[in-house]
Amino acid sequence: MSRENESVGACALQVGDSRSDGGTLLSTRDLTVCYGSNEALHPTSLDFAAGQVTALIGPSGCGKSTFLRCLNLMNREIPKCKIGGEALYHGRNINTRKENLFELRKSIGMVFQQPTPFRKSIRDNILFAPKRHGLVSGKEDCDALVEQSLRAGALWDEVRDKLDESAYTLSGGQQQRLCIARTLAMHPDVVLFDEPCSALDPISTFTVEETIRSIAESGICAIIVTHNMEQATRVSDNTAFFYVGDMVETGPTKRLFSQPEDKRLQDYLTGRFG
Amino acid sequence: MANFDMSAHVRRINRQDRIATGVLVSIAAFVMLMLAAIVTYILVAGAPKLFDLNFLTGKPQQFKEGGGIGPELFNSFYLLVLTLLISVPLSLGAAIFLSQYAPDNAITAVAKTAIETLSSLPSVVVGLFGFLFFVLYMGWGFSIIAGAVALTMFNIPILVRVIQQALEDVPRSQRDAGLAMGLTRWETTIHVLLPAAMPAIVTGVVLSAGRVFGEAAALIFTAGQSAPVLDFTCLDFSSPSCPWNVFRPAETLAVHIWKINSEGVVPDLTAISNGTAAVLMVCILAFNILARVIGKYLERRLTSE
Repeated sequence: MSRENESVGACALQVGDSRSDGGTLLSTRDLTVCYGSNEALHPTSLDFAAGQVTALIGPSGCGKSTFLRCLNLMNREIPKCKIGGEALYHGRNINTRKENLFELRKSIGMVFQQPTPFRKSIRDNILFAPKRHGLVSGKEDCDALVEQSLRAGALWDEVRDKLDESAYTLSGGQQQRLCIARTLAMHPDVVLFDEPCSALDPISTFTVEETIRSIAESGICAIIVTHNMEQATRVSDNTAFFYVGDMVETGPTKRLFSQPEDKRLQDYLTGRFG
Repeated sequence: MANFDMSAHVRRINRQDRIATGVLVSIAAFVMLMLAAIVTYILVAGAPKLFDLNFLTGKPQQFKEGGGIGPELFNSFYLLVLTLLISVPLSLGAAIFLSQYAPDNAITAVAKTAIETLSSLPSVVVGLFGFLFFVLYMGWGFSIIAGAVALTMFNIPILVRVIQQALEDVPRSQRDAGLAMGLTRWETTIHVLLPAAMPAIVTGVVLSAGRVFGEAAALIFTAGQSAPVLDFTCLDFSSPSCPWNVFRPAETLAVHIWKINSEGVVPDLTAISNGTAAVLMVCILAFNILARVIGKYLERRLTSE
């Protein structure tokens, strides 16, 4: 069985075989999302482990991004959007009114579909949030954090000589890696990626995927929404398939793509819809 | 046959395009010509006085020739600064609230409608309200402060709209990115949205300053039509000749033009009113240029571009 899988997912295996399962960091129990009276996400229960990449796949409008935006409660910023059920972070339910959003989002970072650098210098893009959170002070600490974060985002070599230039002078792929570096600067243990490569060219996509893999190796729990099945195979350990607001099937990526159980996933994989 | 039809069609749309371009160019040229004519007329008519230092700094005369506009020039700037000091913080606060915090409900809708209505209120109505309320009811008399508050009422709706628009033009993704990093709405607004919107805000503020600077109707009834002789060495804030006293009457340039033309008896009133108009226009032109320069500078400073 495992031998068979290896031959199917050989490419995926090379990047992702030697990692440790650090235990469940984040999980959901019957999580739902309603926009007004319309339930956009039906009860969903999933577990996410440290050091692993989980891909959320499915056709447009299936609820995968909606689900992702619950994990750092970003959906609360949308008027009339209601999150039901439980989201457990380190075993603690975060879907309560008492939850401190600012602390939560410091440790659960997010990277968006479009690169969203601030109109500041590259250095200030990295340092802005850590400074507001009081994580760094003093020039040396700041410089160290900038270098460390940009290295983690695989951008250091390209920008080391122009840290004080505007982030807008970077290419789209570089901007996206800057956003990843900026998120890592706060030392999160979970990073959410909402279709991070859909605005990028193939080469930038490849670099961003490598970056995602390497931050997972470093022990971070990475969750990535993608509509690109090859991307899911390349970067993820586990995959969850969403369809019209339902989480249909989940499991190790290799198994899911080689032996899909649900008819809807089989149809999706063979391109019959989506 | 098909080819022939095609080329006829192409010829037709090309002709339409040329005609449309021609019409638009002539409309634009006509408007430019009108503007250029007015500007040239005012500058040429006012030129003899525009570069006359005695006119720019001198005292106005009631009956003799050779009066100046010194106090009026000072009053105009002082009133402008006071108005901006009151109206910019208020508008900034209101615009931030409306664009970032206001829930989408009936009260917000009423507030927005009220601001829109206020922005199209004729300035003479603002002036009469200011006269009844600030000058008479509050007992401030014809004074700079009454004028500044009336101008604030006149300026706030425009400023709120300009600033609100500038903030809303910053992509929503910037706000989300800030929030997703665990920043508060306030931090995101102050450190991400405001810097990005600052050039547009500054341009809006300076352009509204031009409007305030040239306003007459609202001031005739509030800041008054008399210009006490100013003594810049006087620091007694209750004295009418102290320039900084906000409870003294203060005629501005625009009011001066109106007054001289409606009830002036000085022999050289045409020259004085032409000269004042030229000074007023040059000041407003300077504001516009300043708006661009400051906007560009801030953009470079705040974004390191």
